[in-house]
Amino acid sequence: MQAYLKIFRMGWLAIVLLTNIGLAQTTVNPDISVIPRFLIETNDSERADGKRKFSRPDYSFEELEVVIQSYLNPFAKADVILTLPGPDLETGKLGVEELFASVVRGLPLGLNVRFGKYRVDYGKFNLMHPHAWPFVTQPLSQERFLGEEGLNDLGLSASILLPTGNVYTKLTADLLRGAAIAEAAGIEDTTGGQPSYANSARLSSFFTLSDYSDLEVGLSGFTGLHDPYRRDRFYYANVDFKYKYRPSSYTSLTLQGEYLFNTRKARQDRDLNPFLDASGNPEQRTIHSSGLYLYADYQFKKIYSFGGRYDWSQTPYSKDDKAQAFAVFFGYYPVEETLGLRLHYQHTKNDLPTGSESVNLIALQTLFSLGPHKAHVF
Amino acid sequence: MQRFLSFFLIFISALAAEAKVRVVTTLSDLADLTRQIGGDRVQVDFIVRGNQNPHFVEVKPSYMMKLKSADIFFMIGMELERWAPQIIDGSRNPKLLVVDLSKNMQKLEVPGRLDASQGDVHRFGNPHYWLDARNVRLMMEDMIMAMIKVSPNDEQYFRANANAYLSRLDAKIAEWEATMKPFVGSRVITFHKSWSYFANWLGLVVAGQVEPKPGIPPSPSHTAELISLVRNGNFKAIIVEPFYDASAAEQIARSASAKVIRLTTSVGGVDAAKDYMAMMDYNIATLAATLR
Repeated sequence: MQAYLKIFRMGWLAIVLLTNIGLAQTTVNPDISVIPRFLIETNDSERADGKRKFSRPDYSFEELEVVIQSYLNPFAKADVILTLPGPDLETGKLGVEELFASVVRGLPLGLNVRFGKYRVDYGKFNLMHPHAWPFVTQPLSQERFLGEEGLNDLGLSASILLPTGNVYTKLTADLLRGAAIAEAAGIEDTTGGQPSYANSARLSSFFTLSDYSDLEVGLSGFTGLHDPYRRDRFYYANVDFKYKYRPSSYTSLTLQGEYLFNTRKARQDRDLNPFLDASGNPEQRTIHSSGLYLYADYQFKKIYSFGGRYDWSQTPYSKDDKAQAFAVFFGYYPVEETLGLRLHYQHTKNDLPTGSESVNLIALQTLFSLGPHKAHVF
Repeated sequence: MQRFLSFFLIFISALAAEAKVRVVTTLSDLADLTRQIGGDRVQVDFIVRGNQNPHFVEVKPSYMMKLKSADIFFMIGMELERWAPQIIDGSRNPKLLVVDLSKNMQKLEVPGRLDASQGDVHRFGNPHYWLDARNVRLMMEDMIMAMIKVSPNDEQYFRANANAYLSRLDAKIAEWEATMKPFVGSRVITFHKSWSYFANWLGLVVAGQVEPKPGIPPSPSHTAELISLVRNGNFKAIIVEPFYDASAAEQIARSASAKVIRLTTSVGGVDAAKDYMAMMDYNIATLAATLR
């Protein structure tokens, strides 16, 4: 927490210096929104007498997001997103998911700068908060390569719009502390006694295909040290797209997908077990692995939606540890986004060198949104 | 050398004279009014199509691109376009002049109490003021001031165009008021609270909305209440905008002698609404024919 406060103080100072604005007291309160999610879920991962058996449905608290957003001054905005992770609602601790300031005006060449802790503009899915997903579970490739919380780190980000005529093309580059790698890499201390910075960049273009359809395509890269002690580096390359056809206010079809490719040199797996050659001696391996997801979401009659998702993913440390999943989901939003209900079925099959196993999941998620949470950009 | 300099200065002057004021508006109605003022000295684009609900617009990067190179952004204000700040920020245009045209309006239905139990209520009042044609004069005055700020040399041109348009509009207002005079006091039902200014201007009584609360979809119990109201009252028209689902309104209309009519709140909402005056012509002719 101290580290976040320090970053925030530094950020505030930078804003003042950048914009030459005094510390005038504002009387306007920021927008505050509260978005909790609850879950009833059952799965058949446990077997009874060799037969599949669904567990007793468990009703649990999934997560609470508190979103605080406002302008700091005419040139900059700030976002604070606090989360209380489930399932322990009463004794769980509220943590800082995002805490950043963005300078949106006043810099040359239309440059935007962001600093603090934030979800990195990497791929298309990473910027989506769970309450905005049309389904309940995170795509396997995102979870395996970027971790459950996604690529979310302390850093400094700069973005510009490239001069590509009427096509919106944005280039974003980030210098990150590298802490977000920990979860995906299986290393808790990413510093290894010295800073372990990571870098990310994304180039995206938005095309208006017609009055009713739009397409966004993106190319991202991410690199950092996955083993700070041996200074071993990984490289991710990612392509993404999102297509939306909205013929009326009541109907829309969204298609979105991403493919992530990983390459790294490593001497141990995610669980820190050393790689051994045929003679049992430690060896360094070059690993190439990848993952993808593709989903379609069809909104009909304004308040209903349904869709399907396909996942396929290896892991950062093994191309033999594979999983694929197929999910179907249904959404019901009776009054815009203030109330939501999502029913999700997913079949996941894990293929390990030692064999295969599959699991079926049925989940019912409920959520509400209290407050003036801003609309999400396309 | 002197000849070259003269040619260069003439070329630059010609370029400056050709430079158009680039205006983007939220609604197509505002785009039409901008064209009436600016003529061939403005380049106009808009965000919301006439057949689109202006309350709910997806924040698209393409809209940011429209604003990126614009000089002026005209908006209705009063939080009709809650999506606009994100587009303005995303445009990264530090020179953009953002003009909220509501500031001099006489506002209707400003809520005393405000919370989500009231539905999607606008805290600064009902924002559909452009549907009272008398408000166009006030809107145009603010538009002219903004356009003069960007292009001071065109002041006389802008004012002459606006005056000519407002003269035609005054004549049209007199014509529309005469058409609607026999129906003063007529009771109508609307889908959304879009027609308060229109009704206030023409002396109509809006007795209810198909939406139980602003922005809240019709519920069976509320529809039943309206059916009872329509059966017991003298209602001839249920007004629905082109972008709303008319099934609940049709259900109410079927239970009595009322008729569902599609009136448009914006230019382009129906084929006949080519511009603001044509939109009002269409709305008033359609309504008068139904109330007759």
